[in-house]
Amino acid sequence: MRDAFSDTIVRLAKADPDVLLLTGDHGYALFDDFRKECPAQYINAGIAEQNMVGMAAGLARAGFRPIVYGLSAFVPVRVVEQIKLDISHDQLSVILIGDGAGFVYSYLGTSHQSTEDVACTRAIPNLSVYSPADRFELTACMNLAYQSKASVYLRMGKSDRGDVHKGVPQIQVGRLLEVKPGRSGDIAFIATGSLVRTAMDIAADLYPDAVVWSAPFIKPIDSRQVTTICAQSQVVVVLEEHSVLGGLGSVISEIACEFAPVRILRVGVKDRFSEHCGSYEYLLKEHGLDRIAIEQRICAFITGN
Amino acid sequence: MNTSTPNFSAKALRKTVLDMAYAGSAVHIGCAFSIIELLAVLYRNHLRYPGNDPLAVNRDYLVLSKGHGVMAQYACMRELGWLHNEAFTGYFADGSLLKGLSDSRIPGMEVTSGSLGHGFSVGVGMAMGAKLRNTEQKTYVLVGDGEINEGPIWEGALFAAQHALKNFMVIVDENGFQAMGKTEEVLDLGNIQAKFESFGFDAVTIDGHDEISIDNAINHFWQSNSIAPKALIAKTVKGKGVPFMEHNNIWHYTRLDQETYAQALDAVAGSAL
Repeated sequence: MRDAFSDTIVRLAKADPDVLLLTGDHGYALFDDFRKECPAQYINAGIAEQNMVGMAAGLARAGFRPIVYGLSAFVPVRVVEQIKLDISHDQLSVILIGDGAGFVYSYLGTSHQSTEDVACTRAIPNLSVYSPADRFELTACMNLAYQSKASVYLRMGKSDRGDVHKGVPQIQVGRLLEVKPGRSGDIAFIATGSLVRTAMDIAADLYPDAVVWSAPFIKPIDSRQVTTICAQSQVVVVLEEHSVLGGLGSVISEIACEFAPVRILRVGVKDRFSEHCGSYEYLLKEHGLDRIAIEQRICAFITGN
Repeated sequence: MNTSTPNFSAKALRKTVLDMAYAGSAVHIGCAFSIIELLAVLYRNHLRYPGNDPLAVNRDYLVLSKGHGVMAQYACMRELGWLHNEAFTGYFADGSLLKGLSDSRIPGMEVTSGSLGHGFSVGVGMAMGAKLRNTEQKTYVLVGDGEINEGPIWEGALFAAQHALKNFMVIVDENGFQAMGKTEEVLDLGNIQAKFESFGFDAVTIDGHDEISIDNAINHFWQSNSIAPKALIAKTVKGKGVPFMEHNNIWHYTRLDQETYAQALDAVAGSAL
């Protein structure tokens, strides 16, 4: 996914000299190609995220197309007010990249772990929130963010969970992508980011009749499509490496309770911080997001235990 | 719409502020009065708006980062014919356009301020953009002295100096007060000029109500060959122009009643400014 990100920003920047990459002193090797290919379009704003995002607004007002890169714990969470007032209020064409979302920085602890970024951003008017699942969705989302000229927060989570698609999918703003067909009246999995692959694996092995959807868009989201999915399902399971408060699970639940009430299991990070240090896989276990724990929760939810 | 020649006299601008503050029962009068001369000089002599268009692509940028001084800017924009008279007589009426803090949706206002410490960074971005495009555009950011408590100001100052943004000028309205009291009693700013100099700015301190000094300082900055960003520290008086408001922080918040409105109008009309 990171190679796809690098390739995409280099391609966008070479095609459009107004594209600028701003980083808050992060992304060392990730930007090797960009710095080599487009050195004049690379700005290291220093360890100063608030100023970086404000500057991006000024650059966008001057006609540039800033792509602002940070770790998801900092961009957007540290700079929510700059995003709200300086960028989204005027729908400026700025793409904000929050890398390392979820528990990617498993060894570094709470400061670098990011499980509230979607909740923080989706309440901001005019701001779109993208959450690609693999390198192909990442490329499609970046292209769309650039072409749409919208204010976009793009969440990049764990990048090596395996492909979900076979190639760059056709995407439309707000539309969910079916990544495994299923039978109407069975279970619907709706997942985003790193947990799409997990949902596909669980469904393939345990629930062959379940449909699996990837949600590359948290906002806007096609509420009609979500309504149809919910109406055609006996049970819906939403999976995300984000807090269950305010993330995709909330989005689906909000739509369902209004238009197509259905039992929804929200699999995500409970309202708590990480307690311990360890590998990414360990952290998933600690938060009940490893495959075994998810399977047990789904089973219990379906059987009513 | 005022279509006559702009009258950027401090007296006329202060009267407009009083009229609209009284009409809207608005606060922040003292905060507007400390920056009247600064804005008058900028609009009269320096800011370039090709075609008198506040959205002209190649305009200079004036960023009112201290958004609570907005009535002073409204008064100037009225003189330019950018705002209708009804916007002033109907200030704060339900459904009206002009807010109590600067809003970027009003052509001529570059940022939505009020939450302090934002405009400086946006202005640095604009100046960086002008540098990248190699244009002659200048960026002026007007901040309050209390506002520079905010951390992003200093993040932006580091960046502006690092990237030699010689087209960038911060103007500090040093009126010595912030919302709850004297700046030296809240977070003492010490020597603001020295602070900006230590961040790599060319800086000078002047009397912010002396229009000739303001004008000379700005000209001097732009005529210099220095590649450093500029800081104009303007010593001002909060509430300037109305003796009972001057140095009296209650006029950060207080509304005019019929009596104080009349007294303030008399003071402004009779002042030598």
